[in-house]
Amino acid sequence: MIRHLPAALLALTLSAGAVQAQAPTPSPGRGTVSAEEMEMQRMLQGGRIEGRVSIPDARAASLIQPQGREWREFHNRTLAWVGGVAVLGILGLLLAFFGVKGRIPIPGGASGRTMTRFSLLERANHWMVATCFIILGLTGLNLTFGRHLLLPLLGPEAFTAASLWGKVAHNYLAFPFTLGITVMLLLWAKDNLPERRDIDWLKLGGGFFGKGHPVAGRFNAGQKMVFWITVLGGGLVAASGYVLIFPFTVTDIAGMQLAHMVHGIIAVLMIAAMLAHIYIGSVGMEGAFDAMGSGQVDYNWAKEHHGLWVEEEVEKARQTVLPPGARAAGGD
Amino acid sequence: MARMKFLCDSDRCIECNACVTACKNEHEVPWGINRRRVVTINDGKPGERSISMACMHCTDAPCAAVCPVSCFYTTADAIVLHDKDLCIGCGYCFYACPFGAPQYPKVGNFGGRGKMDKCTYCAGGPQQDNSAVEYVQYGANRIAEGKLPLCAEMCSTKALLAGDGDIIAGIYKERVQRRGYGSGAWGWRTAYKQDLTV
Amino acid sequence: MLIKRSDGQAARQRLASTYQGLSSGGLDRRSFLRQAGIGGAGLAALGTLGASRAEASGAATGVLDHARPVARVKNVCTHCSVGCSVIAEVQDGVWVGQEPAWESPINRGTHCAKGASVRELVHGDRRLKYPMKLVGGQWRRITWDTALDEIAAKLTEIRGRTGPDSVFWLGSAKFTNEAAYLYRKLAAFWGTNTVDHQARICHSTTVAGVANTWGYGAQTNSYNDIRNARTMIIMGGNPAEAHPVSLQHVLSGKEINRANLIVIDPRFTRTAAHATEYVRLRPGTDIPLIWGMLWHIFQNGWEDKEFIRQRVYGMEEIRAEVAKWTPEEVERVTGVPGEQLKRVAQMFATQKPATLIWCMGATQKTVGTANVRAYSILLLATGNVGSTGTGANIFRGHCNVQGATDLGLDVTTTPGYYGLDENAWRHWARVWGVEYDWLLSRFGSKQLMETPGIPTTRWFDAVLMPGEREKTDRDGQAYVAQPHSLKAMMVFGHGGNTVTRMPEMVKGLEKLELLVVADPHPTTFSQISNRRDGTYLLPICTSFEMDGSRTVSNRSLQWGAKVVEPIFESRNDYDVLHALTKRLGFADRMFAGIEVKDGKVVAESILREMNRGLWSIGYTGQSPERLKLHMQHQDKFDLVTLRARDDAPAEIRGDYYGLPWPCWGTPEQRHPGTHILYNTNLHVKDGGGTFRARFGVERNGQTLLAEGSYSKGSEIQDGYPEFTVAVLKRLGWFEELTAAEKASLEKHFGANIDRASWATDLSGGIIRVAMEHGCVPYGNAKARAVAWNLPDPVPVHREPIYTARPDLIAKYPTLPDRRGFRMPHLGQSVQVRSNTVAKDFPIILTSGRLVEYEGGGEETRSNKWLAELQQDMFVEINPADAAERKIRDGAWVWVTGPESGAKTRVKALVTERVAKGVAFMPFHFGGWFQGEDRRKHYPAGTDPIVLGESVNTVTTYGYDPVTFMQETKVTLCQIRSA
Repeated sequence: MIRHLPAALLALTLSAGAVQAQAPTPSPGRGTVSAEEMEMQRMLQGGRIEGRVSIPDARAASLIQPQGREWREFHNRTLAWVGGVAVLGILGLLLAFFGVKGRIPIPGGASGRTMTRFSLLERANHWMVATCFIILGLTGLNLTFGRHLLLPLLGPEAFTAASLWGKVAHNYLAFPFTLGITVMLLLWAKDNLPERRDIDWLKLGGGFFGKGHPVAGRFNAGQKMVFWITVLGGGLVAASGYVLIFPFTVTDIAGMQLAHMVHGIIAVLMIAAMLAHIYIGSVGMEGAFDAMGSGQVDYNWAKEHHGLWVEEEVEKARQTVLPPGARAAGGD
Repeated sequence: MARMKFLCDSDRCIECNACVTACKNEHEVPWGINRRRVVTINDGKPGERSISMACMHCTDAPCAAVCPVSCFYTTADAIVLHDKDLCIGCGYCFYACPFGAPQYPKVGNFGGRGKMDKCTYCAGGPQQDNSAVEYVQYGANRIAEGKLPLCAEMCSTKALLAGDGDIIAGIYKERVQRRGYGSGAWGWRTAYKQDLTV
Repeated sequence: MLIKRSDGQAARQRLASTYQGLSSGGLDRRSFLRQAGIGGAGLAALGTLGASRAEASGAATGVLDHARPVARVKNVCTHCSVGCSVIAEVQDGVWVGQEPAWESPINRGTHCAKGASVRELVHGDRRLKYPMKLVGGQWRRITWDTALDEIAAKLTEIRGRTGPDSVFWLGSAKFTNEAAYLYRKLAAFWGTNTVDHQARICHSTTVAGVANTWGYGAQTNSYNDIRNARTMIIMGGNPAEAHPVSLQHVLSGKEINRANLIVIDPRFTRTAAHATEYVRLRPGTDIPLIWGMLWHIFQNGWEDKEFIRQRVYGMEEIRAEVAKWTPEEVERVTGVPGEQLKRVAQMFATQKPATLIWCMGATQKTVGTANVRAYSILLLATGNVGSTGTGANIFRGHCNVQGATDLGLDVTTTPGYYGLDENAWRHWARVWGVEYDWLLSRFGSKQLMETPGIPTTRWFDAVLMPGEREKTDRDGQAYVAQPHSLKAMMVFGHGGNTVTRMPEMVKGLEKLELLVVADPHPTTFSQISNRRDGTYLLPICTSFEMDGSRTVSNRSLQWGAKVVEPIFESRNDYDVLHALTKRLGFADRMFAGIEVKDGKVVAESILREMNRGLWSIGYTGQSPERLKLHMQHQDKFDLVTLRARDDAPAEIRGDYYGLPWPCWGTPEQRHPGTHILYNTNLHVKDGGGTFRARFGVERNGQTLLAEGSYSKGSEIQDGYPEFTVAVLKRLGWFEELTAAEKASLEKHFGANIDRASWATDLSGGIIRVAMEHGCVPYGNAKARAVAWNLPDPVPVHREPIYTARPDLIAKYPTLPDRRGFRMPHLGQSVQVRSNTVAKDFPIILTSGRLVEYEGGGEETRSNKWLAELQQDMFVEINPADAAERKIRDGAWVWVTGPESGAKTRVKALVTERVAKGVAFMPFHFGGWFQGEDRRKHYPAGTDPIVLGESVNTVTTYGYDPVTFMQETKVTLCQIRSA
């Protein structure tokens, strides 16, 4: 942005001043106001030309806001490029990875024995968030890419209808989405606190690239990252989204533009991250889908990826299977 | 073909708001929608200027550039219009517009702000010229009748000029030369990437 | 996701029609739609889903069927005195559109916010729809007949009990000329002089001041003529907001001539923003400022010595007063630095032609008349009267305030400024075709018939104070000098929030036995008091719904044609007054010379009767036919000279637009009207003139007649008195009168024929003969710098009644207590309060106009297009004063006044428009009273969209001694956070 170019600003102001000097001298007492110069300066400084209006609409008092240009630049270029590169890039990477590694099998094959990984509540919540996210993501992407991709296919009227429905869906699904990530935070935050062994896990590339599999608790470092991306990124996207959904209630035009920028950029990055998450949870790895599918995962899969968690669970199971009042042998 | 523009000579504008009510009258614009407004800068101080502002019908219009559904189109006279049947009321044009021109009938209803409304340069919309349907959706179509926007036609001090860009720039330059001063054409740099220094 | 196939069909049809009907932009739109790709056909059905059509408005009244013809009707804007032509497009009796009236030389197609929205007045769903009556505090709908019967019965009863002077007839500056004349005539036939209108509270002091200086109380030049000025001073006026279209001429003049535009005002107004020099003075110090300018002018010999010698009486006495106003004293009193004032004085005196423009900042003062006199003297001293580009360009307020004043809606005169003496009444008795004795019998007494009535600024005092037969010893001077106090008030077209001291006014309202408000809107009068009975509202239509002429500020008359029939049950003024007089029993006499066709009064016939009587101001040549021709051929008049060019039809060629009065003689004589008053450079038959010989021929051994100055082509090349039969005889011109003219004089004057004058000769012969000799009928005199008949013959500075500078009271006191207009008039006994009041009320409060609203504002605040632009009553306060009081911009504040514990709750507008220690409030708001929202007291559905406190709730006592103009521009107040 030009805001970082004080030298250019100075040079331009000086040249504007020179032009001004040639102009006819203004009448005494009128003060010197030049539309061109003011516009130029505001454009360079990122300020607005503001005044007074009698109508009770504060937005109307802004005469010229050059930031619209920056926002347009962001929306049409930055966001489109970042979004395009992130989404297509991650898809490409995953494709390449799949080509190289193929589907990661369960080491030693399925044992046939399963254990409960996610409760019904956890799974239901996950799928609610996931559904919302997919629709929010698609309808959001539509606002940036739809006119280039879908409009030629559907024609203007159908595309408008789709976009209108999309916008309605986008607005209303914001609420279950926010609820979902809040529940996620409550359910899973304690298992997602960073630990020392997460560093080891990362050093070993999560076992995807090197040899041998790092140990992990209920969630490995990769999953923790997904979790925090979802909760924190989702939180930011939701917060900026609410600002957009209630236009101008908490902020002015600059705030609205900023909110939109935050919303857009984080959303496309999240979409990219979630594509990887979806990949791993489905085609990328055998046995992984079951965790959120039936909630039951294969014992061998669990031992491979979440050894510590399995140990904890087994330990817990040992304790919990004891009937009430049972005493250890020799304890009496 | 003419290249239609607006030019507000702020050394003439007295904030009488005739442009605002002429617009309301001609198009029966409802309460709360201000297709045109007058902004006074440096209010109460020497150098005070009032400027009547509406959609400037920009060259390379930002609204059209950012519209997710491409509902804008530019006429052969370079008037920037939009199709309300396509508009989804997303509000993006307001973020991009340097002049705050786009207006929405509803505010804050979960972003469901209704169809955007803005100055049509009294050129109606994509409906049939001067049909009742066009009037109800977009207002009168004076351009089709060979007239200019009523705001400029009724401007009390003839500060607001509308018409072909070269012609109104010529009128303005002539004025500046005659009177010896002129604070310039507000918004021209932003809208038309053109300075009007005399 | 597809919902209905049929929807798709409909949508496609609509799309198809879009293809057919594209305008010039079609190509782009078409290629854009061609993008409709493979999915387009089927999925187009979705186009209507949830996409409820965005409508520009619910019930559009502006939809015009372009296939059928549209009538274009020309009328005149009903708001300010500029007189912009309005072209209405009418289809099926509905006003569907407004178009610019390019051909009008006054506005050239343009309007201000009000003019551009007048169509809404005639669609106004907040108009009063039918007659209403207050029954036990509730509004009831009644019929016109019931209303008029009951009102007439009550009036008759009051008249029988307490005499005709117990009824106050309040008329309107928004009347057409014909209605104003009819209303004044009605008051005369009823038998009272207590008939007034808005001029009392806008320019009565102007009329008194300039008429006492040079003869006529009106703008000397015109809006268009300002284009010729090289220096313009706008002092006490904000035409950018009050008369926006006039700024077209002011700014054009400023640009074409590179003229100086100096704005002298306590407030940095929208006008000041366009000035080349802005002078900020302390409110209420106009005379010191003018004298300060004259001090520099006399000191440097910049005055026009020849002009003064030939055409001004008494300038020496002015010099003596001016000598006291040294630059130091001027700065001490006004706050204006001497250097700046010297610069301004030099420009005004030496860069000529120079004009002085003023409005209510000059007039609405306890020294209003003296202010206006001082302004006029400045013009005289610099020779800036009576030629192009000069003059007193007095911008009047309402659309027909000039006309209504001319037609005598005034407590001091009959129509045409004839006054109230027996000669005047005898003149009008002749014109009206009634016996003088019958007219006399209508009044309480001959003395009351010849005494000015009660002005609108004090009517409530005249309700609350006893009459002569009602008073007791304890009342002292607090009585009304007529048998009984006021018992009834008839209000036609007048807001209730326009006079000061509203808390007192409310008491007066509540004591009235009968209150009738006849207006398109219910006005503040209908809701502000807690009256429960005896109150009637009559729906009157606007001037767009009737025919009639109106006189703009520059004295031009414009004929407005009826655009549509009166809406709802409203009726026009003529028919209502006719119906009322029928019930009062004198319709036959009053309408003897006026045509009533099918129960409808014919406006043209009223104008013809006026033409027959208004010789004194030359309202005789403006026949309806001539006025209509002018409206029809507006494009034939020159923008600057206002004269019809050579390409104009023969019937109007050479006329000035609108036949600005004086338009001498009969319509057949084709006098062109007078564009610029007192202009000696033209022949009187071309609109030339001289100062009027109105005050005698000699005083203290000095002549009052002009010396060596005369209008072009005059056979008498010196001053001369006004023309009478005796003068004609002396000059040997008597025999030039025709036989018919002589017969008329014989018939009306008999043995007194020598005393018949140009103004009372109904044949117009004296005027005709005088003009044949190049003489101006009213004589050729000097203007008076000293007006010996006024309380201050030479204007002197007097501090405002409530002044923030009590230290100046001793040196510049206001006038002592006195009586006037049948009432006591307090001066010094109130002013002494300032010594204590100024401590608790340290801020000077002044008031004025907003561009969006007009007058009391009921009409404009009901107009949705205007109301949206100003939604709250506010007070402008300087940032320093606001900071001291911890007041934020936009916050609610209480503005309190020093009388009656008055208070108003308004929004703060923190701005440097006002100086520290000065606050400004607009005067158009009403509907709130001392913090209470009284919306529910309006008849249902007639409450204006925007309500707010009236500034006049906190304005205070103070009246001009000559006209009882109220003081609205300088009082004191306190402001605190609410």
